[in-house]
Amino acid sequence: MKRTMFLTVLGLLLLGAFALAGCAQQAAVPTGPVTIQLWHQEGEAENAAQYVQALADAYTAEHPNVTFELSNKNTEVLREDFITASLAGAPPSLLWTVNDHAGPFTTAEIIVPVDDLFDLGDYADSALAAVELNGQHWGVPISNGNHLMLYFNKDLVSDAPADTEALLAMAQDLKGQGVTPLVYNQTEPFWLVPWLGGFGGSVFAADGVTPTLNTPEMVATLEWLKQLKDDEIVPAESDYDGADTLFKEGQAAMIINGDWTLGAYKDLFGDKLGVARIPVVSSTGDAPAPYTSGKFFMIPTGLDEGTQAVVVDFIEFATNNDNQLAMVSQLARLPALKTALEDESIAADAYLAGSADQMVVGVPMPTVVEMRCNWDSMKPEMLAVLAGDKAPDQAAADMQAAADACLTTLE
Amino acid sequence: MDTLLEQILPSLSEVIGTLLVLAAATAVIEVVVYLIAGRLLKSRHLLVWMLVAPAAVGLLVLIVYPLLWELNLSLTNMSLRRFGDKAQYFWQVCAASGGPSGPSWLLECLGKNYADVFRLPVLKQVQFFPVFLRTVVWTGVNVAFHVSLGMGLAMLLNRPMRGRGIYRALLIIPWAIPQVIAVLAWRGEFHYEYGYFNIILTQFGLAPIEWKADPTWNFVAMILTNVWLGVPFMMVILLGAMQSISGEYYEAAEIDGASGYQQWRHVTIPLIQPVLTPAIILGTIWTFNNFNVPYFINQNELESSDILVTALFGAAFEYNRYGFAAAFAFVIFILLLVYVLLYIVLTGTLKESTR
Repeated sequence: MKRTMFLTVLGLLLLGAFALAGCAQQAAVPTGPVTIQLWHQEGEAENAAQYVQALADAYTAEHPNVTFELSNKNTEVLREDFITASLAGAPPSLLWTVNDHAGPFTTAEIIVPVDDLFDLGDYADSALAAVELNGQHWGVPISNGNHLMLYFNKDLVSDAPADTEALLAMAQDLKGQGVTPLVYNQTEPFWLVPWLGGFGGSVFAADGVTPTLNTPEMVATLEWLKQLKDDEIVPAESDYDGADTLFKEGQAAMIINGDWTLGAYKDLFGDKLGVARIPVVSSTGDAPAPYTSGKFFMIPTGLDEGTQAVVVDFIEFATNNDNQLAMVSQLARLPALKTALEDESIAADAYLAGSADQMVVGVPMPTVVEMRCNWDSMKPEMLAVLAGDKAPDQAAADMQAAADACLTTLE
Repeated sequence: MDTLLEQILPSLSEVIGTLLVLAAATAVIEVVVYLIAGRLLKSRHLLVWMLVAPAAVGLLVLIVYPLLWELNLSLTNMSLRRFGDKAQYFWQVCAASGGPSGPSWLLECLGKNYADVFRLPVLKQVQFFPVFLRTVVWTGVNVAFHVSLGMGLAMLLNRPMRGRGIYRALLIIPWAIPQVIAVLAWRGEFHYEYGYFNIILTQFGLAPIEWKADPTWNFVAMILTNVWLGVPFMMVILLGAMQSISGEYYEAAEIDGASGYQQWRHVTIPLIQPVLTPAIILGTIWTFNNFNVPYFINQNELESSDILVTALFGAAFEYNRYGFAAAFAFVIFILLLVYVLLYIVLTGTLKESTR
């Protein structure tokens, strides 16, 4: 009996040892040549593309057998190209992208969940929440935020307006000085959403998948955006590059832009840069609620064992404490790693504190595939209102109709 | 700074493998064709077969095979929710759910995507026929300007004059610039505040135009851009054709008392017809399928500026309706095929060329 029990325990111990050894073998980075195709949507203007390249180079320096092929793509192009490449059976090895891509990618089942590959307890809950779908996480967070906020040029504006009434008053003075008071990317509904939150609205109902665009709150939001244009508080026409250029050249006093530009603006303006929350909507008393998410690594399905091992190792390298703090220093983005978030350098940085303050009133960006219908429905109607071709109430109704029609095509 | 060789060597090393494979494949094709056509069939046209074979294989691989794959895709319900291997043929779906039989089976279980192209919105809300009509207008207006302006410039250049070579080189520049670069530059000039056109308009006391937001003016902006891009091609083609006309025809016409217009109508036009017809066919097809100009000029994504190919792109890559988009592509292909055949028959071009 004792002998039997001893042999049983010994057998179990040996089995456990072999299992552990097997696991270790599966996770081992191969020593042969490996090429990692990394697709990212970081821009050069914000020095972010250079940061990605530097990370890849640093990893290669430690692992000379691993080479990287980096491809920079616009956010929407990255989504389209990745789905197409996956259909062709030739996806890249790794993605560096935004959270709302998880919706279509998980629907098409072309990325893998990361819960079993990483210890996600090391990352901020707010970042992880942005890539959680159906009880699993579909990306490893790189940065925390990706949210819009108000930047201002202290040479032109001493302090940010606290609410929209103050903004309107300030704008009259600035116009008198020949300065454009405010700029933002007027072509994308990502810049409409914070104001919708400020007017008390939301693009989805409580179930998180039913579009709710034909609402009094959306009408009020569209009226507000139209007012900004009609009162010449914003330019008659401005896309992302136009708004960014006007602000950088000192022709615009304030800009609503994302945390991804904080580093570039800091380098350009130095102490003259101010960071604040988007002004509270005076009529409701609510703060605008920009979408928060971050940037994420997403791993395509179908990678061979060796490549996946390298990808996992690279992700752990890229999001380790040192590199997260380097990202804070170079790109001025809030890190996703908990230990990096708690670093005293973050609390001491006024700009990052301002960015984090805006995040407090943000809402997680929906990841569901139905969000695509909302984006595609809001954009043309918003532009029609700004062009004066459509009344806000008609535009809101048409948005809803378009979103409802879009939902049927998803089936 | 690296030498030129050091700069290009990394790129060369990336493509050398592909080039070697292509060279080897060509050699294999030639050997196979020689053995079959030369030794086995003892064909008199061996040289022709050997010269044509690599290009034919290339066309089969790069065009015919993708077309067949797309035809296959057009019979499936592939979308984001039924991606890749999860897509099914409609007849499989019908068989599983006890679908319709008889004539309805063709529309609902075989060619459902083809039927949906005509009965469902091709984008968010717009249906097929309005987009088709818009595409016809887009094509007709552009080709008309291309031919008329191209012919006018060709006639101006088809005269002895000083500096003709310089004028020709300058007029070809729009054709030489990469199309996307040119279109993006034009898009910048349509900016409401800082674009060249609105600056000129305001200088003359006129109201600036919302080139990107107003549906009509956005369409005009697309046409202006495409006319600028397309005229050089037509000019070069027609100039070449005019220069091949013997001067004796014009001398004879002058002797007969023909006016300038009569010479143009009865000498120039008939003699350039064998060149003009394919040029117009090509120009029509290229304009009908022109993606870059409508896509980039229509920065605000107005559905009113979409033509068939941009709507197709949206259906495939923005809304992920892959099966539907494949059927849509074939509908466009058939439309153009019908047009080409009709044009050839109505203009009698085949009769002319076989005379």
